[in-house]
Amino acid sequence: MRNVALGVALGAAALLLMLSAYADSPMFTSRATLGSLNGEQIYDHICQGCHMPGGQGAVGAGSYPKLAANKNFVSWRFVALTVLDGRNGMPPFGFPAGHGMNSGPAHLSDAQIADVVNYVRSHFGNAYKAEVTAEEVQALPHPAAELMGPQ
Amino acid sequence: MENGDGSSSLSRRELLRMIGATAGATAMYQAMSTLGFAAESPYQGPVDLQGAPRGASVLILGAGMAGMTAAYELRNAGYKVQVLEYNARAGGRNWTLRGGDRYTELGGHTQQCEFDKDFYINPGPWRIPYHHHGMMHYTKLLNIPLEPFFQVNYNAYLHSSNAFGGKPQRYREVKADYQGHVAELLAKATRQNALDASVTKEDQEMLLESLRQWGALDTNYSYVSSDASSDRRGYEKSPGGGLSARPIPSKPAALHDILDSGLWSGVANGDTFDMQTALFQPAGGMGRIGEAFGKELGPLIRYNAKVTDIHQDDRGVTVTFTDVQSPGAQQTVRADWCLCTIPLPILAQISMNVSQSMASAISAVPYAASVKAGLQFKRRFWEQDEKIFGGITYTDLPIMNIGYPNTGFQSGGKGVLLGAYIWGLRAMEFTAMTPAERVQKVVDYGSQIHPQYHKEFENGVAVAWHRAPFTLGCFGMWTSATRAKHYDDLCQIDGRLALAGEHASFLGGWQEGAVTSALDTIGRLHQRAVAQGERA
Repeated sequence: MRNVALGVALGAAALLLMLSAYADSPMFTSRATLGSLNGEQIYDHICQGCHMPGGQGAVGAGSYPKLAANKNFVSWRFVALTVLDGRNGMPPFGFPAGHGMNSGPAHLSDAQIADVVNYVRSHFGNAYKAEVTAEEVQALPHPAAELMGPQ
Repeated sequence: MENGDGSSSLSRRELLRMIGATAGATAMYQAMSTLGFAAESPYQGPVDLQGAPRGASVLILGAGMAGMTAAYELRNAGYKVQVLEYNARAGGRNWTLRGGDRYTELGGHTQQCEFDKDFYINPGPWRIPYHHHGMMHYTKLLNIPLEPFFQVNYNAYLHSSNAFGGKPQRYREVKADYQGHVAELLAKATRQNALDASVTKEDQEMLLESLRQWGALDTNYSYVSSDASSDRRGYEKSPGGGLSARPIPSKPAALHDILDSGLWSGVANGDTFDMQTALFQPAGGMGRIGEAFGKELGPLIRYNAKVTDIHQDDRGVTVTFTDVQSPGAQQTVRADWCLCTIPLPILAQISMNVSQSMASAISAVPYAASVKAGLQFKRRFWEQDEKIFGGITYTDLPIMNIGYPNTGFQSGGKGVLLGAYIWGLRAMEFTAMTPAERVQKVVDYGSQIHPQYHKEFENGVAVAWHRAPFTLGCFGMWTSATRAKHYDDLCQIDGRLALAGEHASFLGGWQEGAVTSALDTIGRLHQRAVAQGERA
């Protein structure tokens, strides 16, 4: 049960960028503590694995969309639905709580999804003001309550 | 598929269930396989592609296991085959990182693998079950020497940071104690007539005797410290020779401690069909297969080719690509047919004209997160100090698994082990770090199981599959809902194009899924090509 306080202290993307190679990294969250992460922490712990620090995205055989100055973000629904249901290989995060094993997708609450949507729409050069609420996220379609584990 | 005796109590079936749930799948599987419940890989032996139309051509996208299996068979059947591959090497996820290799992940971090000569890790697949007949076939065909892969090592650990004071427990002890206590309880229930309604008196006698044997119980059907239980869980002092010969039995852990620890959840790790002995690993690394396949196909593979567009018409398929090393100029290649094995997260971004149903299927499969790390140590302390020779330790720490090398036993000098094999949420978090941070975390966590880590550690590499430029994820995760809605659409031939890969299989994440998917698909493509006759 890693504590959230340290996660809060170390979680900022800017700080992570500054960390030297062997400096401490953000504490791990867990099924138990994941639910208490805010939008910024969710970005640092999960999203930036693909979308990269600062929302810079990346290009290989395919690409991860750059979130920085992203015009698609004019639609909060687009962003929220992407987090809820996944898109083009991105895992969904809108599975019901308590569902699945350690191996499957992670669950974020509607409030957390609203928070991370608000975070990415107001950072990395995005300046969308409208705040999305948990109720608005709740009203969107969520993925069905099932999943499978890895091999 | 009823049990043979047709008894109204269905006792034997119930019994099987009970034994299956507690003893794990081995006993269950042995019983069930005689009833034909358990299925093997659908691989049926070499594919028959006789009668290829003269001059017919197939363009294959991706030189992983699926693409190269297809290329090999289609070439041998007389098709003109070309393969486009994004990487500068063959194999795809069939891949080994060795000392001297460099790997640049998405985001730009480059790792230099500093392992000594002959040491490696397999960032992707690392084991081949004996019943993956397709993989076994091509491994033999390519003359790849195999070594045993120890899925289960009774002397490796099951570890929970919240149980037994955080001290790792030997698999052998947890298994023996769990099994022994369960056998004792079941024997008690039987002798108290609690099972009379479901097991005949005659069968109860046999059941009791079987429980005594299975659980290493004493004559009173109790699981206690004894030669019998020590013969399962190990001795306090093992038997030897001479005057110091006499063994001292060990003391089993209490049922409560075993149950409370949660370590019982690791007892069946080797019992699932995919993990049952025998399993194999190619000597020198899993990547030996991809390398040999690539050599076999030689100039048929064009490397460093990044596919940007797939366009089909009623006579063939035109694929546009750029050279990764000199991007800019677009090149095209055309063939009568196209077999596309590009991982779905990438394919979903490539412009292509396929049916809406296939396009929807391509976008419907999220990819699993997974991270592996290899660590080089100054000495093989896991062998020298802890007598762990190969196999896997399971832990609730974020590193999840430690895989010990299944080769080079007792060799002096250094060693490399798999310091972490991670999936799910924790893999996402490891992915979000820099490679150096991942390695440091793996060393820190691993030292809770092996305190030697910090003193003996030399260097490491860590591969996060969502940052692999050539896959954007580890493997396709299907649900029964997405399978029902999209799977057939994904696998159907669409005009002159068809898909293959582990994502188009029910063996997700396994190389056998890629191989059997490729064979199934080229069989259907071949039929269609033959039906079309000579090159249109």
